[in-house]
Amino acid sequence: MPPRTLPGLTFGLLLTAATGTIASTPTPDKLAELAASDAWLTLGHYHPDTLGSGHTSQADDASFFLAEDGDSDPRAELQATIDAITAPVTGDPNDHARCQFPARDAWIRSHLELPQPAVNCTDFNDWKGDLNTRAVTMVFAASYLNSPSSMFGHTFLRLDPPKEDGETNLLLANTISYAADAAEHDSEILFAYRGIVGGYPGITSVRPYYEMVKVYSDIENRDLWEYELNLTQDEVDQMLAHTWEIRNRNFDYYFFDENCAYRLLALIDVARPGTQLLDEVSTHAIPSDTIRWIVDRNLVADVTYRPSSATKVEHALESLDSHERQLSAAIANGYVQVDDAEVQSLSESSKANVLDATYDYVRHQTQAEDWPRDFAAPLSHNLLVARSQLDDQPSIGPPERPEVRDDQGHDTMRVGVGAGYTGARHYTELSLRPAYHDLLDPPAGYRPGAQLQFLRLDTRLYSDHQEVQVERLVGVGIRSLTPRDAFFTPLSWQVSFGGRRSEMPDGDRIFTPYLEGGAGGTWRLGSGLRALAIVTGDLEISKHMRRGYDIAPGVDLSLLHQGDQISLMTGVRSKAWIVSDQHREDRLYLEGSWHLGRDYSVKASLERKHHYDRYETLWQLGFRAYF
Amino acid sequence: MKKLIAGAILLGASSMAFAQPGCGVGAMVWKGQSGIAPHVLAATTNGIFGNQTFGMTTGTLGCQTNESVQSMAMYMDSNIDKVARDMSRGSGENLETLAVLLGVDEADRGEFSRLLQDNFASVFPNADTTSDQAVDAIVTLLEKNERLSKYVA
Repeated sequence: MPPRTLPGLTFGLLLTAATGTIASTPTPDKLAELAASDAWLTLGHYHPDTLGSGHTSQADDASFFLAEDGDSDPRAELQATIDAITAPVTGDPNDHARCQFPARDAWIRSHLELPQPAVNCTDFNDWKGDLNTRAVTMVFAASYLNSPSSMFGHTFLRLDPPKEDGETNLLLANTISYAADAAEHDSEILFAYRGIVGGYPGITSVRPYYEMVKVYSDIENRDLWEYELNLTQDEVDQMLAHTWEIRNRNFDYYFFDENCAYRLLALIDVARPGTQLLDEVSTHAIPSDTIRWIVDRNLVADVTYRPSSATKVEHALESLDSHERQLSAAIANGYVQVDDAEVQSLSESSKANVLDATYDYVRHQTQAEDWPRDFAAPLSHNLLVARSQLDDQPSIGPPERPEVRDDQGHDTMRVGVGAGYTGARHYTELSLRPAYHDLLDPPAGYRPGAQLQFLRLDTRLYSDHQEVQVERLVGVGIRSLTPRDAFFTPLSWQVSFGGRRSEMPDGDRIFTPYLEGGAGGTWRLGSGLRALAIVTGDLEISKHMRRGYDIAPGVDLSLLHQGDQISLMTGVRSKAWIVSDQHREDRLYLEGSWHLGRDYSVKASLERKHHYDRYETLWQLGFRAYF
Repeated sequence: MKKLIAGAILLGASSMAFAQPGCGVGAMVWKGQSGIAPHVLAATTNGIFGNQTFGMTTGTLGCQTNESVQSMAMYMDSNIDKVARDMSRGSGENLETLAVLLGVDEADRGEFSRLLQDNFASVFPNADTTSDQAVDAIVTLLEKNERLSKYVA
């Protein structure tokens, strides 16, 4: 039985004893100094105003403040807090400020010697006792390409019990998430819109880890990375006390900056004053970047990998030999029964592996592909009954942890400079891309075959007239190229919109808004090489076109290799413009990147183009750096 | 410790959309697509878990009176496919979790796993078994076992 937590004043006293700077009464100077300190500003979630020298809190909830103008006056809030935590207890002790704001109470008392009204915070202590936390682990759910709102990954905190005996079980540990409280019926588009402009309240919630594993690992098929933080027990206690303060309080949720990752960073800042993780956040807080920050600040004691069920299924199938794989596919599809001679004639260990891999695959397909229950359930039952008769056969081991973690991949902001030739003119180009990854960036730490670009801007300076032109602005560009095989048949798809230069019949290159999409398949050709065939559709809008817009169905056939040193892509793209000016546009292209570590790449491309009965050869050579 | 774990797991209970596990209801094993559309789940990424916050009530769990068994019923209800899998293999994280919830000592865990693996077909007699039927069968098995009966007493 771990010790039950003592009332909040205990660690207040502990901290008091540990610091030397104690004032008996708060002089105005001392008060001003404390009110301006990073620790107090962090506790109140105060941030400097964009205009003026004041501070405003990000909490959007009047109950979070004790002073009337507490949300914009840190000093008044500090004074009000001091008054409240020294006030005599009347009524329900759980309503007293010492119980409502135990983290503020502890921090203030570590700097000021104040009267200590005795108060028994039963609600807080019961809650903290139930959470029974010795260590805090930040869990990162890797990105999941098939859902735009998840592509940056997701983070939450897990509260780990003391590792004392065999009864420690992390699946039963609790987790803290900060999330948008979206109505379930909101569509993805509405969700994205309100997420960006701040239409959702953000809520801090606690759930058992096994439920998070179920959602992320089993249903969404996202690998989980667990980063155990090296917080001391006092720091953990202070974090929990602050979580108690902000529970059920509203902080409006914003996708890009004040998102799931952001509020957790604030909790760490409170736990260890001076960490100032929030100072890293500028315009956006991408969860994988926030993991980089906690690693850089030496906050991580240990890292554990928890593969998703899809990763485990793939691994189980890969560890079968080719005969076993065939048999597994045949059982899963109902061509071979579990008790058929073909299965029964296998050795015990081989049978165990086939049954295990097949069961995992059938469950995965039922979840992901809606296999009907009247087929999948009896099959699942037969597989497990047969498996339970094999004693002492170990199951297939877990997949190996990837050599490169998500947070060890290249940084997400990219700047590129280069020079090239359009077939008619020479230019130099500057390319900026705030996020996130494309197929020819260093692949380590990212999903193979996945591309996600945000707000990429390419600007050219043409050498003949010193003319500056925007060549391309990608609003959002996504490609998802997952290979198909005997077991998995995912659709490859791509979508992109923005503006780009488009050549008109008279040879002028006009900047036009565009929308393009495509769907098809990707296949593995030996190790490290993929072939893809995509049917595409393009839309361009311009007043320079005869009908104001044009549409082009087309195909894209290519080969892709993503390697740690070299990434290459080559293929043909063919489109037929059919509305304003009927003509073909064909390109044969070769693009390559030479990766110099994970911070730099040399990028080259060569293209032969046929457009409006003209043939042109284009090339570009450039250098890219990742920040 | 056991009590704390039970408390922690019951803490998560109110977020589950079923009535009273351990009461003859329970989830059907291998029930297929959970009925949650993928795009709704996608929203959970940045998370729609909003409403289940700290002050959760544990509800009244009527039927199984043993708190450990209640916790096990709760866990099995939401993880039944994985529990069945680990049970058929005689090892795995979810089987470990059952042992922890029942408070099975480490020395008895081998016996616990073996018993459940050997009797898999009686715990899950058919493809329509519900988690509560499985819980009842497990309790019956343990009661009959000399070494393990103390954990469900």
